[in-house]
Amino acid sequence: MSKPQNNRLLRPETLTAVGITAISAALLVPTFGMRAMSALLPAAMLIGLIGLSILLLLSDQRKAAANEEAKPMTQAPKRVAGAFLLVVAYALATDFVGFYASTVISIPLVAWVFGFRHPLGLAAATLVVVGSIWLIFDFGMSQEFPSGRLWEK
Amino acid sequence: MYSDLLNALPEVLSLANFAAVIIGVIAGIVVGAMPGLSATMAISVLVPFTFGLEPLVALGLMAGIYNGAMYGGAIPAVLLRIPGTPAAVATTFDGYPMAQKGEGGFALQVAVVSSSIGGIASAFALMLLAPPLSQVTLLFGPSEVFWVAIFGLASIIFLLGGSPVKGLISACFGVFVSVIGADPIFGTDRYTFGQLEMLDGISIVILLVGLYALPPVIDLLETPLKTETDANKLGTEPIWRTLPRMGRFWKTWIRGSLIGIWIGILPGAGGSMAAFMSYNEARRASKTPETWGNGEPEGVAAAEVANNADTASALIPALTLGIPGTAVAAVMLGGLMIHGLQPGPMLFRENPDVVFGFMWQFLFGAILLVFLGGSLATNSFARLLNLPRPLLGSVIIVLMLIGVYSIHGRMFDVYLMLGFGAIGYVMDKLKFPLPPVVLGLILGAFAEENLRLALRIGRGDWTILFQNVTSLVIVALTIAVIVGPLIKRRYVNKRLKAELGSKTGMEE
Amino acid sequence: MLKLIQKTALVGAIILSAGAALADYPEKPIQIIVGFDAGGGTDVMARTAAPFIEKYLGEGASLVVKNVPGASGQIGITETAGADPDGYTIGTFNLPGMMARTIDRKSAYDVDSFTYLANVVNDPNVIVTSKRGDLDTLEKLIAEATANPGAVTVGMSSLGGDDHFMLIKLQQLTGAEFTIVPFSGSAPARTALMGGHVAMGILNISEVAEFQEELNILGVAQAERSPFAPDLPTFKEQGLDLLNGSMRGFVAPAGLPADIEAKLLDAFGQLAGDEEFQAAMAATANPVEVVTGAEFKALTASLYDLAKGVWETTPWN
Repeated sequence: MSKPQNNRLLRPETLTAVGITAISAALLVPTFGMRAMSALLPAAMLIGLIGLSILLLLSDQRKAAANEEAKPMTQAPKRVAGAFLLVVAYALATDFVGFYASTVISIPLVAWVFGFRHPLGLAAATLVVVGSIWLIFDFGMSQEFPSGRLWEK
Repeated sequence: MYSDLLNALPEVLSLANFAAVIIGVIAGIVVGAMPGLSATMAISVLVPFTFGLEPLVALGLMAGIYNGAMYGGAIPAVLLRIPGTPAAVATTFDGYPMAQKGEGGFALQVAVVSSSIGGIASAFALMLLAPPLSQVTLLFGPSEVFWVAIFGLASIIFLLGGSPVKGLISACFGVFVSVIGADPIFGTDRYTFGQLEMLDGISIVILLVGLYALPPVIDLLETPLKTETDANKLGTEPIWRTLPRMGRFWKTWIRGSLIGIWIGILPGAGGSMAAFMSYNEARRASKTPETWGNGEPEGVAAAEVANNADTASALIPALTLGIPGTAVAAVMLGGLMIHGLQPGPMLFRENPDVVFGFMWQFLFGAILLVFLGGSLATNSFARLLNLPRPLLGSVIIVLMLIGVYSIHGRMFDVYLMLGFGAIGYVMDKLKFPLPPVVLGLILGAFAEENLRLALRIGRGDWTILFQNVTSLVIVALTIAVIVGPLIKRRYVNKRLKAELGSKTGMEE
Repeated sequence: MLKLIQKTALVGAIILSAGAALADYPEKPIQIIVGFDAGGGTDVMARTAAPFIEKYLGEGASLVVKNVPGASGQIGITETAGADPDGYTIGTFNLPGMMARTIDRKSAYDVDSFTYLANVVNDPNVIVTSKRGDLDTLEKLIAEATANPGAVTVGMSSLGGDDHFMLIKLQQLTGAEFTIVPFSGSAPARTALMGGHVAMGILNISEVAEFQEELNILGVAQAERSPFAPDLPTFKEQGLDLLNGSMRGFVAPAGLPADIEAKLLDAFGQLAGDEEFQAAMAATANPVEVVTGAEFKALTASLYDLAKGVWETTPWN
C-alpha cells in the first residue's frame, strides 16, 4: 500500500489549507480598488476562507503531532493524473482540431488506456455515441460544435 | 377565466401537440439522465429551433423537457452520485446510499412517483392560482427577497457534513464564485480578469458539471476494471408492488409540493433551493432523523417532489410579470417571446389558447412522467450506466463537453468547467461537502444584489430591512427553522450530557 | 496600432473586392451575429427581419442567425467588428449600449469599426409610476422630486443604458433629483414598481404595453405618439422636450466592398415600406423606425457624444 506521509508539511489537508490561504490573500488585493459596497462581500468571503483554512491547518497539524496518518488522496496517482491529462487534451483538441475528429479518437482512446480493450465494443460505442450526437444536435437542431481553430483561415 | 382553461383543452389534445409533450418528456428524461447535459442546455438549444414550429408544439416540447429532466436528473444522482441537473443535488443524499444497498430500483421509483406528484401539484397551482399567486410575488421587493436568500443561505448549516470547518470553507467558496462577474449595481468588473465571458458570472451548470461530474468520472477511470455492477443489484420490482410502500410519504409529498410551489413563485432561487429546503424540513419532521443520509427513501421523495413542484410554479412570475423563477424558466421565457408571446397580465387575455394550453401541457407532462419514466428509466438507463467503467467514463466526458459548450456555444466555458473539475476532485478526496458550494453560488450574489438594491431604496438606511411585515415574518421564520433546532439541540445535548455523563460526543 | 490593423484590413478588403466577381453576391449563407440569447428582443428582431432581407437580396440569399450571448451583447459585437468585411457576416447593434460600453470599459471596437446598415427598432422610453403611490401625473412627480431631492426612487435596468440617459436628460431639463435603483433588467424593475417598492420607473414602451392597467404611464419620450400605444401622450405634448429610446439595428464590419454595401443598404432600406414586416414586428412588440447608412452612423455618433458627455460629468461606475 502507500507509504505513510513522513513530512508533516506535505499532508494533503495542510497543503490545501496553505493553498487556499495563499490564493485568498492574493485575491484580496483587487478588493482595495473596489468601492466599499462592491468589495464587502468578496472581502468577507476571502477573509472567511483565510480564517477557516488556518483552523483547518491547525487541526491537521494537531493530528500530525498526534501521529495520525493522513489518508492519501488517491491509490493510483498516475492513473488520476493520466485521466486529467486526457480530459484536458480532449478539450484542447476539440477547440483546435474540431469536435467530431477529437471525439472519434477520444472515446476509444480513453476507454482503451483505462482497460477496456474489446475492439468491437470500442467501435460500436464510438459509432453509437458520435452518431447520435450528430443526428440529434447537428442534423436535428443544426447546433454547431467547434470545427477547429487550426483550420480557420 | 376557468372557461378559457377548458376551451384550450381540445387544441392540446390534438395529435401533434400531444405528441410534442410525449417526445419532450422522453427527451427530458434522457437529457436529465445524461451526466453533463441539463434542462437549461436542452431548452436553450431547442429555442432557436422552435422558431418555425407551431407555438403549442414548441411549448409542449419545452414543458415536457422541463418535467422530464427534473426527474431524469435523479437517475445518475441515484446510480452514480452525479446529479444530472442542479436540482438533483439533494437527491444524491439518500438516493446513492440506497443504490449501494441494492435498493436503486426502489429509489428511482420513489423519485419518479414523487416527481410526478410534485409536477401535478405545481401544474394545478399554475392553472388555477396564477393571478393570485403573482400578487404574492409583488409583495417581495428587494429587502424581502434579501431575507429569503438569507433564509436559504442559513440552511447551509444543515449541509455542512462531518466537519463544520470544511463545510464553511465550501460555503465561502461558493459565495465567492457567485461574486465573479459584473457588479450588480455599478456594472464594474469583479474578478473577471478582463474576460468578457465571465462578465455575466459563472453559470451554475458549469460549476455543477465540473464539481459533481468530473470527480466521479476520474473515479470511474481510476479504479481498475471489474468492480461491482450496480444494475444487477438494482432490485427492481414492478411499480404496483412498491407503490403501497410509498403511501407513508404523503406528508412529505404535501410539504415538499408546497415548498416547491412557494420557492418557484419567488424569482431567482429555483429548484435546488426547493429540494434542499424540502429535504431539511422532511428530515426535521421525521421521527428517525438518524436514518437520513444513509439511504432513507423518504429523503429521495422529499427532494424529488420539491424539485418538480417548482417547475410550473416558476412560470407564474415568468408569465405574469416577465421575471423567471429559475434558470430553466428564463430560457423558456425566451421560447415564449420567440413566438410573439409577451409576458404580462394581457397575455392571458390575448392568447388564452396558447397560455392555458401550455399549462395543460405541464399537467400532462407531469402525469406522463410516471408512465414514461417508470418503464423507460429504471430499465434502460440503469443498464446504460452499467457499461464497462472506462467506456462509461469516456462517454460521460464527451457529454460533459457538449453539455457545457452548448449553453453559450463557447469553449471558454468548457475550460472553466475543467478548472472547477480539478477543484472538485480535491474537495471530493478531502471530504469537503459540495452542496454548500452550490447553494452559496445560487444565493450569494443574489442576496448581495437585493441587499444593495434595498439599501439604495432606503437611501443608505439599514433599518429599511426591518420596516415591513413580510420581511419580519421571514426573519422570524429563519430564526424558528434554522436557529431554533440548533439551540434545541445544544440544550438537549447539554441535558443529555448532564444525565448520562460521558456518553456524548457521538453525534456527527 | 488599432488604426494600422484597420487600415490593412481596409486595403485587404479593397484588393479582395476588386478581384472577386460580386455580381452574384450573396453566393453563400450570410451569418447574422446576435449578441443575446435566442428569444430576447434583439434576437426576435433579427429572426423576424431575416426572411424579409432574404427576399430583398434576391434569389438564393439565405441568412443564418448565430447567437453569441454574453456581457450585454459585447461578445457578439466584438466578433462582428473583427469579422472579414466580405458581406457574409453582419451583426445586431444596440444603442446606446454598444457605444456606452466603449466609454465605461475597454472595448475592441469603436464608432468607426462598422459599416452601418440600418437601425430598425426604436423603442422609446416611458416614465411610469406605481399605482400604489400618489404621483400619478408628471407635474406631481417633478414637483415631489424638486421639493425633496432624492426622495423619489427610480427603478430601471442597469446603469449606462438608455433608461439611465433618459433620467439624466430629465434631471437636466427639470432640475429635479432622483435616487437611482438599478435592477438587473427591466422585468424586475417593473415588478418592483408594481409592488410599490420603488416609486417611479423608466422603461421602454414595448415593456409596458402589456401592463397599461397595472401602472401609471406618464409619458412617452418620442416626437410623435407611438402607433404602438396611441393613447399615451408624449412628453412634448406636456411641454417637456424629452426624447430618448433604445435602438436596435444591423451593422457589418467596416470596409465592406462598395457594391455589397449598396446591395445590403438597399435591402435593409426596403424594410421601411414593407407592411408585412411592420405587422410582424408589431406582433413581437418591436416599434419600427428604419434609419439607414450615413444617417444611422450619425445617429450612433450623436449617441456616443451624449454618453461621453454624461460620463464626463457623472460617471456611473
